[in-house]
Amino acid sequence: MHPLSTNANCSPATRLSPTILDKLTILTAAAKYDVACTSSGVDRKGDGAGIGNTMSCGICHSFAADGRCISLLKILYTNECIFNCAYCQNNRNADVPRATFTPEEICTLTIEFYRRNYIEGLFLSSGIIKSPDFTMDLIYQTLYRLRTVYRFQGYIHVKAIPGADPILIEKAGFLADRMSVNLELPTSDALRKLAPCKSRKTILEPMRQIQNGITQNKNELTLYRHTPQFVPAGQSTQMIIGATPENDFQIMSVAENLYQKFGLKRVFYSAFVNVNHNADLPALPGGPPLLREHRLYQADWLLRYYGFTVTELLSEDKPNFNIYLDPKCDWALRHLEFFPVEIHTADYQTLLRVPGIGAKSAGRIIKARRGCKLNFADLKKIGVVLKRALYFITCNGRMMYPTKLEEDYICRNLLSDRSQIPRELREEGYRQLSLFDDVNFGGDSNVCIPMPKQY
Amino acid sequence: MYVFQCPNSIDGILSGVYDAWASRYGHKNIQLSSDESGELTLFSEYIPVTADFEKSQKVSRTLIRRLGVKFYETICATAMSDGSCRKLTMDKANAIYQTIVMALSLPDGAKVLEYLGEPCIACIFELRRQTYNEGHHLLEFLRFTELENGILFAQIHPKNAVLPILASHFTNRLPLENFMIYDAPHQTAAVHKASKDYMIVDASSINLSAIQSLSADEEHFRNLWRAFFETIAIPERQNLKLQIQNIPKRFWADTVELRDRL
Ligand code: SF4
Repeated sequence: MHPLSTNANCSPATRLSPTILDKLTILTAAAKYDVACTSSGVDRKGDGAGIGNTMSCGICHSFAADGRCISLLKILYTNECIFNCAYCQNNRNADVPRATFTPEEICTLTIEFYRRNYIEGLFLSSGIIKSPDFTMDLIYQTLYRLRTVYRFQGYIHVKAIPGADPILIEKAGFLADRMSVNLELPTSDALRKLAPCKSRKTILEPMRQIQNGITQNKNELTLYRHTPQFVPAGQSTQMIIGATPENDFQIMSVAENLYQKFGLKRVFYSAFVNVNHNADLPALPGGPPLLREHRLYQADWLLRYYGFTVTELLSEDKPNFNIYLDPKCDWALRHLEFFPVEIHTADYQTLLRVPGIGAKSAGRIIKARRGCKLNFADLKKIGVVLKRALYFITCNGRMMYPTKLEEDYICRNLLSDRSQIPRELREEGYRQLSLFDDVNFGGDSNVCIPMPKQY
Repeated sequence: MYVFQCPNSIDGILSGVYDAWASRYGHKNIQLSSDESGELTLFSEYIPVTADFEKSQKVSRTLIRRLGVKFYETICATAMSDGSCRKLTMDKANAIYQTIVMALSLPDGAKVLEYLGEPCIACIFELRRQTYNEGHHLLEFLRFTELENGILFAQIHPKNAVLPILASHFTNRLPLENFMIYDAPHQTAAVHKASKDYMIVDASSINLSAIQSLSADEEHFRNLWRAFFETIAIPERQNLKLQIQNIPKRFWADTVELRDRL
């Protein structure tokens, strides 16, 4: 039994109702379409008087049969929802089993899983029970209990319920490491159609509030060191991809906006699954648009870490990514005038733009070339993916092989490299590619398969 | 050529560094080896090293003082690795020795770790990565079991001697728990008493029968965890290849959720 358990004379298991297994199953199934599961962004040592710490790199504890990381106990507080979002399996009209946890049940599950090293912490989301305020208060009660009674110092990601009293959201924010409000759909039009109980306003308001809370808290922290921290790991959100006809340019522009104007830490993209078999939503037999989702994540990475802007990658005339190439190769092919770059003289930002050179290997090149002249074998050891980079670099003035700096030639060679399609998507991916051909990928009506979400 | 044959441990290798340095044979004529079963070559003189805690402490102090804690940690992580990387052409003890010699001969010695063009540095870089990667994997995949007496017990099967990485992590994370992590292949264990620091102990004579008696709740929470694990996967996205890529099968036997799938 955990030493901080409150009720010392009965075991944690007996304090749980007999239906706890059913509840856990129902409320996990109800939460699984939320893609965010990271425990990253904050380093906090334990204080020695409770349980838990956090590491900013994040820790995955297992990987489910879909290959995705399991880091947090990702559950809904309740799926007895009064709203009717079309893409969501918990909407009030759906015929699914319903359940609601108590704060104590969630605390016990979190602590007992955490001690056994099953999880990094809790990801608590919820359907709307009775009202947004009522729901947000239950979430707050749960976090309060976990942080104070159980002295839990591990990771907590919590959803802010759109439409809830800002005071409740603020109180929860002081107990959580990360907070998120899901944008759900890239445009307010799509939102109006598919989530009539929500509006762009009820989503953006709490998002702005969290951003302001973080900024204000940072200022206070520089004045008083012991001020409690407000969502130290920052704010994230999620968009469903493929439920509505937005193109990649629109989606990435929204993401860029959220990073720049709302200070978000992460935007997640969730390939749509039509769980409700809703006839108004796209249904394709080929599975969720995983390859498109993958390209969006790659592009997101280029925005956050590689100094790219959306308008460099896409435009009104070319609004979608080339599904066959990763966005960086795609960009390089259209900007051959930048290349080749010389490994020994190019600055960090320039190296970053070379396909096959990541942030880590760019940093290592800068350091290693101070000590000695590098050759292609050294670059390989450093982690450069030469089969991709070789068209774009010179090392001591020479290219690795004689190659033509010509778009078609390089494109053909890059495409013959199977790693352009990630290993885990390759088999699935080929099936999807033919599918994309059929639906004329690149037009503005990407018929893809949706994925439902909660907040 | 003089070959110092070190026991395969941090203390063993650092004692070898001490002995080699003190021998005054000249760095060019010296090699270190951590492979006691390795082939012997003609025209080399073999000098056995015994692990000596004091010698190893002296070397550690010098490294920290002259080259910094980071450099020292890199050397330790290299020594903890099993040194079996196929790409390598150098024994790990020898790579450590060459690196230290090179670093101490330069004004800003810790910088040598960035010179990946040097064979001994490339070797250290690779082995350290191996140790840290496996250490990180086990921070993720290690599972504690609650025993009848309330102690949390975990068994692991690592290639590299990563126990110190795990022990310091869980000591900070679970300060009020009594726990023990048992590294079966290396026959060592990390033991932590509530509110104390951890100790690494020799576990070659450990009695494993005590770990058969589980606490009353243990099965219950394992079942809840398995139910969560099964339910959280999205069937439309099933991808067993990606799963195996992310959690390699060699870790499955020591988990709760995947061991029955083997
Ligand atoms: S998305 Fe949230 S609010 Fe909408 S129906 Fe689902 S649980 Fe309810």
